[in-house]
Amino acid sequence: MKNRRKICKANMLITTCAMLTISNACAEWSQRGDISFQVQGFTDTAQHSATQSFNTSLSGSAEFNRAIGENGNLTISPFFRIDQHDDERTHVDLREFIYRYSGETWELNVGLGKVFWGVAESNNLVDIINQKDAVEGLSPEHKLGQPMVNILLLKDWGEISLFVLPGFRERTFAGPDGRPRGFLPIDSDNAAYESNAEDAHVDFAARISGAVNEWDLGAHLFHGTSREPLLIFPAFIPTPFYYQMTQVGVDIQATLESWLLKSEAIYRTGDSIIDHAQLVSGFEYSFYGVAESGVDIGVVAEWLYDDRGDKADTVFQNDMLIGFRFALNDEQSSEALLGMITDLDGGANVLTAEASRRVSDKFKLTLEATVWANAEKDLFLGQLEQEDYLQIEFGYFF
Amino acid sequence: MRIQLANQFMYRMNNSKSTEKMMKSTWSTTLAVALLIGASPLAHAQTPEELGLAISTQVSDQNDGFADSTSNMTMTLINRSGKKSVRRMRARTLETANDGDKSLTIFDEPADVKGTASLTYSHALKPDEQWLFLPALKRVKRISSKNKTGAFMGSEFAFEDISSQEVDKYTYKHLGEEELNGIAVHKIESYPTDKYSGYTRLINYIDKERLIGLKVEFYDRKDKLLKVLTLNDYEHHDAKHWRPARMEMVNEQTGKSTILEFSNYAFGTGLTDKDFSSNALKKLR
Repeated sequence: MKNRRKICKANMLITTCAMLTISNACAEWSQRGDISFQVQGFTDTAQHSATQSFNTSLSGSAEFNRAIGENGNLTISPFFRIDQHDDERTHVDLREFIYRYSGETWELNVGLGKVFWGVAESNNLVDIINQKDAVEGLSPEHKLGQPMVNILLLKDWGEISLFVLPGFRERTFAGPDGRPRGFLPIDSDNAAYESNAEDAHVDFAARISGAVNEWDLGAHLFHGTSREPLLIFPAFIPTPFYYQMTQVGVDIQATLESWLLKSEAIYRTGDSIIDHAQLVSGFEYSFYGVAESGVDIGVVAEWLYDDRGDKADTVFQNDMLIGFRFALNDEQSSEALLGMITDLDGGANVLTAEASRRVSDKFKLTLEATVWANAEKDLFLGQLEQEDYLQIEFGYFF
Repeated sequence: MRIQLANQFMYRMNNSKSTEKMMKSTWSTTLAVALLIGASPLAHAQTPEELGLAISTQVSDQNDGFADSTSNMTMTLINRSGKKSVRRMRARTLETANDGDKSLTIFDEPADVKGTASLTYSHALKPDEQWLFLPALKRVKRISSKNKTGAFMGSEFAFEDISSQEVDKYTYKHLGEEELNGIAVHKIESYPTDKYSGYTRLINYIDKERLIGLKVEFYDRKDKLLKVLTLNDYEHHDAKHWRPARMEMVNEQTGKSTILEFSNYAFGTGLTDKDFSSNALKKLR
C-alpha cells in the first residue's frame, strides 16, 4: 500500500492531478458492491392489469469511500434497477452522498445519508429517518437516501444524534405494470401533503442511545412529515397523503447468553391521524451447533400491536411473527430463514422463506418466496392473495 | 415483514475473557496460547497439575503488555479434494486495564461480506459483549457471545479456538517432556472448564525454551482425535512478542484443513477506546 501511494504521489501527482486540478486525486477510494440479476415468478393470475407470470430485472449497488484530509470522509453509494415490466421499479437513487467530519468528541454528517435505528426483526417502528424504497421488495431494508445535516455527540456511555432533515423523499410503489401490488396501482406521481411546504418541509429528529452491560437502549423524538403515507382516493385512485406528525419512541434490547429480548415502541400524534401507540416486542433464542452438526438454529417470536385496533392504517395492529433462522456455518455460508406473520384478529397469514448460499468467492445465490394465505377478509392483505411469488437472485459482488 | 438475515456466520470472532493477571492476547497469541505452557524454573515439588498450571500462567504473562496491535489475516480453507477458498480480514486489539481485551475484525473477502465488521468487549467475570456491523443496512446489531463450537467462517477453526485464551478456561496436567522436530517441548494436557466446549481435552506441545506453543491436538466430546493445529514461522516482534505467522488446522475426521496466515503485525500503534466503540464500527472501511 505504501509503495503504491509513493508511486502514485511521485508520478501521478504531477500528471494526473495537475490535469484534473484536484489536489487529492491520488487518495485511494475503497469500494464494495454488487450487480444482481433477478427473476420473479408469480403462481397466480393477477386480479389487476399486470398479467405477467414472470419478471426479470437487473440491479446494481456500490459504496465508494475515501478520506478527505485528516478528519474528513466522503461516501458515495449509487443504486440502480432496470425492470422488465414496471417503469416505477426501473429507477436510480443515491443511497448516500455524504461528507463526514470527525472531531474529538463529535461528528458532523452532511449530505444524503442512510441511518438505521432499532432492534426488532419483523418491523422497526423506530427506524424513521429514511423513506422506504418499497418498490424494491417487502423487506424494509431498502431505503432512499435522505438529505440531512447530522451532529453526533460522542459520550463514554453512547451518543446523542441531532438531525435537521431538509427535504422529503416520497415512498416508491409498484406501477400499473408491476407486481406484486394491490388491485389498483398507487398514484405516486400525485402525492398530497398536509404541509404547504410539501416535500420541502424541514423535519427534525434527535436520538440518544447507549449500552449498559447487557442492555442496549435508545430513545428518539421526531417532528415532521410521516414516512408512511395515508391512502386517499381522489377520483377513486389510491393516492399517498403525507401528514405532519410528532413521534417519540424507545428501543431496548437485552442480550442474555442465547436469549435476545427486543422491544420497540412509539407514540405518534398529528392533526390528520388518531393519536396512537405502536409496539413490537419479542425474543430471539439460538441453539448453537444443533446435535453436533455445526448448524445453528434461531427462533424468533415477536408481537406487533397498534392501539387503534381496527382503525389502524398499518397491517400490524395485533399480529405475531414466528420465525426460524438456520445457519449451516459451511464454507458457502448457507443460510435460510422461514417466517410467518399471523393476524391474531383476522387470521390472515404472510409466509416468507429466504435462503442464500455463496456460489464462488464472488457470486451469491438467493431464493425468496412470499405467500399470502387466508387473507380474504383483510382489507389490505386480501388484495395480495393472488400475488404469491418466488424470486431467484444471482449476484456478483466486488 | 421479513426477518432480516444477519450475517451470523462470522459473528463470534474474538471472545477473549482474560482475567486481570492473564494475558491480554491478540488473535494469534490466542491460538498460540491455546497450547502454551512453557519451560519452567518452577518445576520443584509440584504435582503434574500444579506444574501444568504454573507453566501456562507463565506463558500467559509473557504475552502481556503490548498495549494494542493490528494485523492482517488470510484464511485458506482446503476441502478434501484440495479445492481452496480464501477469506481476508484485518484485526485490531486493545488491552484494557483490569478487564479483557477489546477487539475489532473487519472482513475484506469474500466479497459478499466485504465491509462487515465485528466488535467484542471481553470480560473476565461476566459474558462478553459483541456487536456486528452490517454495511448494506448500516445496522449495528448486538449479538449473543455464547456460541463456542461453531465454525468460524466455515473454517476448521471453531470460535473457541480463535477466541482469546485464558488460563482459567482450562485445568492442566503436565504429561512429560519430549522432542518435537528436534525441539525440546513440554507435553501438557488441558481440559476445558466451559461446559459448552466442543472438546474433552487438548494436548499442547510447548517449546521449553521460548515458551511458545508448537502443536495442539484437539479431542472431541467422544474423546476421539478431531483436529491437529501446528504453529509455524514464529516472529519475535519488537524483541518482546512472539507471534506465529502461519497456523494450520487439520481436521483428522473429515480431511479438511484451514491455513491461517498473519502479516503486517504492529504493536503499540496508539489505538484508544474511541477506536473500539459502536460508532467507530460504523466508520470502518
